[in-house]
Amino acid sequence: MPERLTYEGCKRLSILLALAFLPMLASAQANYEIQVYGAETVPPQSLMVELHSNFTVEGEKATIDGVYPTNHQEHETIELTKGLNEWSEVGFYIFTSEQDGHGVQWVGDHIRPRVRVPESWGWPVGVSLSTEIGFQRSAYSTDTWTWEIRPIIDKSVGRWYFAVNPALERTLHGPDVNQGLGFAPSAKISYDFTRVVSGGLEWYADYGAIGNISPVHNQQQQVFVVTDLNVSPLWEINIGVGIGATAATDHLIVKAILGRRFDWSRHSPID
Amino acid sequence: MISRRELLKLPSLAALAPSFSAFADLLAAPDYRIDIAPVTIDLSPRHKLKTTAYNGQVPGALLRLKENQPVTIEVANHTDRPEVVHWHGLFVPADVDGAMEEGTPPIAANSTARFTFTPRPSGFRWYHTHTMAMNDFTRAQYGGQHGFLMIDPRDNPARYDQEFFLALHDWDGHLLASDDGAMNPSYAVATINGKAMGSGEPLRVKQGQRILLHILNSSPTEVHWIALAGHSFRVVALDGNPVPSPQWVPMLRLAPAERICALVEMNNPGVWVLGEVRKHVQALGMAVAVEYENRSDTARWEQPPDLIWNYEQFAGTQSTEPSTEPPTIVPLRFESKFRGHGAMEAWLINGNSYPNARVAPLIHGQRYRLQFINNSLDAHPLHLHRHSFELRSLGAPLVGPPDASPRDIRGIIKDVVLVDAQTRAEVEFTANNPGATLFHCHQQNHMDLGLMMLFDYA
Repeated sequence: MPERLTYEGCKRLSILLALAFLPMLASAQANYEIQVYGAETVPPQSLMVELHSNFTVEGEKATIDGVYPTNHQEHETIELTKGLNEWSEVGFYIFTSEQDGHGVQWVGDHIRPRVRVPESWGWPVGVSLSTEIGFQRSAYSTDTWTWEIRPIIDKSVGRWYFAVNPALERTLHGPDVNQGLGFAPSAKISYDFTRVVSGGLEWYADYGAIGNISPVHNQQQQVFVVTDLNVSPLWEINIGVGIGATAATDHLIVKAILGRRFDWSRHSPID
Repeated sequence: MISRRELLKLPSLAALAPSFSAFADLLAAPDYRIDIAPVTIDLSPRHKLKTTAYNGQVPGALLRLKENQPVTIEVANHTDRPEVVHWHGLFVPADVDGAMEEGTPPIAANSTARFTFTPRPSGFRWYHTHTMAMNDFTRAQYGGQHGFLMIDPRDNPARYDQEFFLALHDWDGHLLASDDGAMNPSYAVATINGKAMGSGEPLRVKQGQRILLHILNSSPTEVHWIALAGHSFRVVALDGNPVPSPQWVPMLRLAPAERICALVEMNNPGVWVLGEVRKHVQALGMAVAVEYENRSDTARWEQPPDLIWNYEQFAGTQSTEPSTEPPTIVPLRFESKFRGHGAMEAWLINGNSYPNARVAPLIHGQRYRLQFINNSLDAHPLHLHRHSFELRSLGAPLVGPPDASPRDIRGIIKDVVLVDAQTRAEVEFTANNPGATLFHCHQQNHMDLGLMMLFDYA
């Protein structure tokens, strides 16, 4: 008959498990940019300026391994995306965090080049590929240098919109550097209620290392109810509320994306 | 082989007409034959396209008919779906006009039909399929089923030494998101007479010639702007109808289904590009070289700095049908209906799509003024079958304070008019050709998705 676990034994085991998994969870729990990418790129001679505002209503409450708790953290991320030509762009992120006791802090920066299948190819789905590399301070992520490659596939059919981002992540510097590639897919489905108002669901997950998939309760699984407001081709507005379905996920997050496109191309009718 | 016309001229047989007419139709050879069949065309060395065409060529053969002289055209449909050929711009009965909505019988798959009619009025017309494409951008007007139709007048509208027939067309469409929040067709190739720039023969001219260009925009959806580097155009006819005030212009604008006849004085020797003014469209291939005799330079293009066009400059001072009675006003409001960011919009006339859009029946002999109120974000090339109309006003904005009252236009006769987004235009016509009369936007996707209406005669 197996020996019964004592209270102390359980506590020790919990601490061991937490120490084993929390570095990975911390890196997956970024929540600075919560967005399922569409395949479209920013046109040349245009700059897309986006402000990502994410507030963790209910998250991790303890400082673990030097990483600040996410509970009641307000993340403000500025994303600047410049269109290079009809099929490529480069994005730059400035991550910040505001929290009682820590004030407003710079968290890190990422750069994200992206290429797409040109529209002129007439593919039945939109396809693009982005890669993102960057640094975040160890107070906000134990993995300080990370890299991601993100295939993006999307399709609009009538009033429905579908997007899938089966992203692969790699830690370049930090505790998970030997973990190898992690699998962090996301997807979106939405419906156009009117020309302006769309609503749908976004799903974000992190399954851990490929070849060593994490147990469910250590995976990140988040579902957001979102609305997109298509008020103008110049503006992007996305608002959502997300619920974390596993112990490793922040339980309740409110997010908003406000984007404005600035276009300095000559709009000559002869071009 | 004896023709149908010659057969009917025989005195003994003529006495039995018209009862013998149907029999003669069967025996006699038609004046023309059109074979509708799949074909593979080379738009350019890089673009080979499978489409459907008339007599194996794009555009189809030029049919030269004589005004008021009956003609029989045999149409053989070698495709696997019903077809119909519309004689665009002719005042013919509804049962031969070539629109199934009016009652013209379709030509069944793999069958043959004959159409006999008296072509009028004279001028540059065209013939094309009048079927639906919906989301299939290889069918209907997206394909190669169009050809030139010239109804020779007693007197030519202008003296000329050489004439050229040119068809502007866009190919290989796919849906693309546009700023109005819906999808619209976008194209991979644009051609003149089925050839992208450098793939076809140049237009060969001689110094001192006056050439007459008959230009047709057969594009399924696109407006085109055309210039000839180093030269100007003298516009003499719109949609085949002589204009009251011919003008020299630097470029031409043609909406889908519009035609322009323009003279060019060949007085600037060299090799020049005749092509789309907008760079991105010319880059898709819509251009052709105009080559003077004994010149073999590289074709030269001079980029116009702007797009310039208006219908009003060709107006006269007199209406074509002056009337003391005020016309009956028929307001027609055009609006779109959102169907999702991943779909083309549906279209409404006075709140209804075809076939539910209706107005009161026309009274034979009555003059009508159609008020086109374009409440949508797209321009619409509006076409009235079996009749012509006179432009009366254009471009009055629907929103905001009007700059000035729109000018009263007179004397311009057309069968297609482009009504800009968020503007109002007015045309007048006389209901003088009884029978079902189709009215629609000539942009294929707009027509397919409801911007079409049938006028009935009382």
